[in-house]
Amino acid sequence: MVLDTGAGLALIGAGLAIGIAGLGTGIAQGQTGAAAVGATAEDPKMFVRGIVFMVVPETIIILGFVVAFLLIGKT
Amino acid sequence: MLRPEEMTRVVIVGSIDGIDDTIECLYETGALHLIDFTKQDEDFKLGRPLARASDASQKLVKLRSMIRSLDLEDLEPDKKFSVPEIEAKLEQAIVTLDLNTSGKVESRQRIQALIREREGEVSALLPIRSFGIPVEDYDGFETITSIVGVCKEDPEEELSSKLPNLELFKKVGKGNLVVVVFVLNEEKQAAMKVLSAHGFSELKIPKLNGFPEDIISRNLAEIKDLEADLSRIDADLAKIKKNFADFIIASEENLSIEVLKAETPLRMAESENSFVIDGWVPKSAVEQLEAALEGRCCGAAFIEAIPPEKEEEPPVKLKNARPVKPFEMLVSVVSTPKYDEIDPSIVMFIVFPLFFGFMLGDLGFGSGLIAAGVLTRWKFKDSPSIKQFGTIVLAGGLVAAVFGLFVYGEAFGVPFQPPPTSPDEASWASIVNIPLTPLIHKLSDIKEMLAISIVAGWAHLTLGLLFGFVNNYHHSRKHAIGKLAWILLLFGIFYEMMAVAKNATNTSQFFNSTLFAVFPSITTSIIGTTVSIPAVMFAIAGIVALPFTEGPIALSEILSMFSNLVSYARLAALAVGKGAMALAFNTMLFPVVFGPNIILAIVGAIALGFTLLFFVFFLGSLSVGIQAVRLNYVEFFLKFFEGGGTDFNPLRYLREHTTAAR
Repeated sequence: MVLDTGAGLALIGAGLAIGIAGLGTGIAQGQTGAAAVGATAEDPKMFVRGIVFMVVPETIIILGFVVAFLLIGKT
Repeated sequence: MLRPEEMTRVVIVGSIDGIDDTIECLYETGALHLIDFTKQDEDFKLGRPLARASDASQKLVKLRSMIRSLDLEDLEPDKKFSVPEIEAKLEQAIVTLDLNTSGKVESRQRIQALIREREGEVSALLPIRSFGIPVEDYDGFETITSIVGVCKEDPEEELSSKLPNLELFKKVGKGNLVVVVFVLNEEKQAAMKVLSAHGFSELKIPKLNGFPEDIISRNLAEIKDLEADLSRIDADLAKIKKNFADFIIASEENLSIEVLKAETPLRMAESENSFVIDGWVPKSAVEQLEAALEGRCCGAAFIEAIPPEKEEEPPVKLKNARPVKPFEMLVSVVSTPKYDEIDPSIVMFIVFPLFFGFMLGDLGFGSGLIAAGVLTRWKFKDSPSIKQFGTIVLAGGLVAAVFGLFVYGEAFGVPFQPPPTSPDEASWASIVNIPLTPLIHKLSDIKEMLAISIVAGWAHLTLGLLFGFVNNYHHSRKHAIGKLAWILLLFGIFYEMMAVAKNATNTSQFFNSTLFAVFPSITTSIIGTTVSIPAVMFAIAGIVALPFTEGPIALSEILSMFSNLVSYARLAALAVGKGAMALAFNTMLFPVVFGPNIILAIVGAIALGFTLLFFVFFLGSLSVGIQAVRLNYVEFFLKFFEGGGTDFNPLRYLREHTTAAR
């Protein structure tokens, strides 16, 4: 497989998009997740609200996935 | 479906003489959700418990204490008793049981306490046994104190150099050193200081007379006797347990029901000669309740439907077809829908398995989940909520297997046929020929997968907004129209996405040539991106309508509609991710499994089985399930669902170990 430099850079970019977005999501979710578990332990009714708060940062990695995908499309 | 059971507000009034029959009748019908009476006035007070309540409670307390002392809490009885049978035998049985158990249970407790005490003495005396000093000599001197304990290191040297007047006995014990120090009262502090520097911890010597050796052997003999007594009593109790256990459990259930019924008047209004019960009855059960009251109370009580007051919220009894019932659980985890709100259980029933199947999409793993679901349903047939969970797993597995079979054409991450782009890839074709070509190849048709995800998201979100429109229609027309504005905006965003995708995939091609074909396809290009003019028009129409309906703050949430839609890309992302993971494990381990070395092949097969089972099947199903639920809870529910309804909780009881009188 022979790739030109541009395509190679695009692929590296795709990897970075997923990787860094994943890192960001992880940091954010770690904190909200810990708080959500605590809140649920106090009051089980908080379960769904906890999930809702916890998954909010997930959008970051989904956006990362879409960007990575668009970059792969450029190669 | 979509709406809960219709409720009628009723009032039941009757003469105080008929209260017993009326309560009986209400519990038998199990259709009345009682509204607790709170507003007492001069005429109407809270009711008093029925006369039989106190007698029944007393017996119940006795039976429950027997259940505890005979250790019957977790026993599943083999036999059911009928109510007349229980009532006939109960008095006598309680007397017999009282006579036979109470004395024995007390003696058992006393013996157990005594054994514990003797054992405590033995374990306290064991360390000082070999010193040969009578126990009473450790205590009771005027000028000398004894210190007994264990040390981690030997303190003799330091002790004897600092305090020449003391006497020390020591013996090597289990991993430590037992020391007995006799010291002058005034030197005790100094001795303790030295000892604690050597990791000292004190042992308590019981106040007894005689040599430790003798006391220990006496105690051991006594413990043996006591244990023999204990086992005799236990055997007697076991006999009683065997003869009476089923009856005790059945009677406890029957008495609990009696007490429940007899205490119901505490929740109703009572005057000197009459009673009033407020409540809700499902509309379909009103006539049945009317007939039952008529038949049982012979005119002593009447039921009447009245128009509810404005602030009264009826209780919610969800009404869905049988297959949909398990999915009510997924809704009630969030909250019970309000009475006048749409119940989304049916949407969960359709959408959850579809999303789940789309993401997992594999004949092998799908079949595994079907088996797990069936097994759960069969194994936990007595526990409704676990059984419902089993049904949800079963439904998800079923759709995943169908997707695996007809759409992705693969089992356990291995395709039925090698993909045309890489004919060397491992496939089932080398073992068995399955003449099914995949409609979509998970790992190479990512664009198609993404397009399908976005379409699913658009349909799902639009449905949610439509539900929001219906929910708001009667409360606030303005908010209802606001939901339509969101629908326009969403459609604009969706249109634009499909316009950007052009005809890159079958799905976008389909939508561009059908749904969007009616609009003129005018596009312009802004910084290299195709922008469809009609799409922008839709979005702008929605955005302009928003401040007038949902308020200006809503403008800040315009972008959230975009991120909501993009959020559905996780459907494609998880499907591709799971597929890639299974492929990676297969690619790594297949050469080993099918290699020439038989031992390596076995090890490889075990490793492959484990990784597939744990990482792809177990963790995969878990994350796919969470994501499928999440798309419903976060994206879908937030468009319309408020929840906070009161569960319909009628007067009724459950007989598990008894059968009703008639």
